[in-house]
Amino acid sequence: MSGSKVDVKVVLLGKSYAGKTCLVERYIHERYTGDTVPYHNTIGAAFGAKKVTVNGKSVVLGIWDTAGSERYESMSRIYYRNAKAAVLCFDLTDKSSFDRVRFWIGELQDHEENCKIYLCGTKKDIVDDDSSHRSVNEREAQALATDVMAELYETSSKTGENIRELFTKVAQDYLENLKPEEKADSFNLEEKKGKFPCACKES
Amino acid sequence: MSNQIERCYIFQSSSKTSKSVVSTKTVVPFDNEEDDVNSEQWRSQPKHIFILSEAGKPIYSRHGSEDKLVTIMGVMQALVSFVGDSNDSLRCMIAGDHKFVFLVRDHLLLVGVTNCMDSTHQLLLQLTYVYNQVISVLTHSTLCKIFKQRRNYDLRRMLSGAEKFFDNLLNLMDSEPGFLLTAVRCLPLDYSIREIIAQSIVQHAKIKDLVFGLIITNNQLITLVRIKKYYLHPMDLHLIMNLVNASESFKTAESWTPLCLPKFDQSGFLQAHISYLDDSCETCLLLLTVDRESFFTLSECKNKIKERLLKYNALRAISDSLKRNAYGIQQCGINDLRHFLYKSKSTAQYTSPELEAPYVTQAEKDRLFGLYKYLHHRIHSAARPLKILFHVGAYETLLGWVTAGFELYAVFGPLVTKTSAIHAVNKLLRWIKREEERLFILNSVTF
Repeated sequence: MSGSKVDVKVVLLGKSYAGKTCLVERYIHERYTGDTVPYHNTIGAAFGAKKVTVNGKSVVLGIWDTAGSERYESMSRIYYRNAKAAVLCFDLTDKSSFDRVRFWIGELQDHEENCKIYLCGTKKDIVDDDSSHRSVNEREAQALATDVMAELYETSSKTGENIRELFTKVAQDYLENLKPEEKADSFNLEEKKGKFPCACKES
Repeated sequence: MSNQIERCYIFQSSSKTSKSVVSTKTVVPFDNEEDDVNSEQWRSQPKHIFILSEAGKPIYSRHGSEDKLVTIMGVMQALVSFVGDSNDSLRCMIAGDHKFVFLVRDHLLLVGVTNCMDSTHQLLLQLTYVYNQVISVLTHSTLCKIFKQRRNYDLRRMLSGAEKFFDNLLNLMDSEPGFLLTAVRCLPLDYSIREIIAQSIVQHAKIKDLVFGLIITNNQLITLVRIKKYYLHPMDLHLIMNLVNASESFKTAESWTPLCLPKFDQSGFLQAHISYLDDSCETCLLLLTVDRESFFTLSECKNKIKERLLKYNALRAISDSLKRNAYGIQQCGINDLRHFLYKSKSTAQYTSPELEAPYVTQAEKDRLFGLYKYLHHRIHSAARPLKILFHVGAYETLLGWVTAGFELYAVFGPLVTKTSAIHAVNKLLRWIKREEERLFILNSVTF
């Protein structure tokens, strides 16, 4: 899907092995390969797009699944620049991944004020199976979410739980926040494309 | 540098020396909880490669875990700095049937240990590749910056997730002659098809700031298009192939990743758009640019390129060529010639037939590769470089021949005479000349 058709730039950020790629795989391709395919870390970032329909309006989400390795952190700006939404992923069974979320919040607040933040605790199925695996307290996560005015989702890419809800919410928020003048702007842009270039040439 | 005298430190003692050198620091008897050096399995590995920081901190070990190799890496660092203190540099050490080769580069120390056929020079080349792989992931400037700030930094943090690149690179170098020859192999294709493929990139990706556009498959080059004033060094090309070969992640989605090509520019990243053109994920397109914002532009280029390749059945031609395999030695029609490597020097490309009997088992394949290493080493020996070498071995006869235009390494049955080998090689050269357009990319295409 080409970039010009993307309405919302969504970026997934978080520590490596937090489950970002599986989340995207589940959402875009509706599949889960975590049990059969060995773990492989993302190189750079992978792009995928998906069309969602909310209240009769369709929106195309352009999702950037970024690499979690530390060396990419200094270059991560090229991936989250101008993003409308950031899904900060952490592994519910790994406390350190939750601590990384704070880093990304700071990073986004410093550089992308207009980017809406969503917190996403992954691997819920593991925690549901055996609550002793849980290392990130839901209350603690909720507190952080409230602090930064973010929504918190706990998802499982294995079962698909809450994933559609998360991205639908992203699309919904985008549509709601779309200011009237912004809408008019984008409409005008389309109009200009057709008419003005010829006029310019003639003048 | 002027003080760098090539010197081999030879430890002469019993045949057990090699092992005792490895384990001098560890007195504890076999215990797997302890250092890896005590494990028989670890010690019996034919080739070890270590990367450590100037301060002696472990960064990478091909076998075992770095945490359990702190002591031996400390010894390596001590040896190097001890010799370094007397304004000299430690290059190579031979102990029993093991060879230890050292490469000191900015902030890093690389060590290769082997009991295989590899010559010192060949091991050095492999270490250089490994060093370049580090640079490719981090850039030289980042590496310097990190160690300038903290000499004691644990570089494994920055390389986490990149270990597979080192593992894969080292495995490739143990089986793929291209690294030894610093040349790449091209997928055999008809000239006209290759031209169509190259032109699709030229036509659809002629974009400002796009430096290289290339298509590769299964470690073979299909086409390469470049800006006129820039060249892609075969070492860089090998790193690109390794990147694609070692990563599963490009198979699921279009990717956009920073990539440093050390021979091209070791101080900065290019941005790479990487995607597979076919559903079976065999044919990979890479578009390398300096413009960090051009992902979507390149994504559209990719779609157009793919469309055109489908229209002209070029993707089919590629997969057919892959399925057919390159060619068998019988196709050359030369009796008693078992296998060969031919490198065209001007293009830095090489060709060789498929491996056939008796080189089908892993042990036999390794033995053949060992013969090539030996032949290559003898011919390129710094002390006495040779133009031609006829070597009669126990199971095969080898002929190596180097001219200004090519390097040829040929393996014959054991009973071949010198005259008939020379005759055969001349015949082979004529065959290669005839097949040249299919086996090599002769004209380099530019935007």
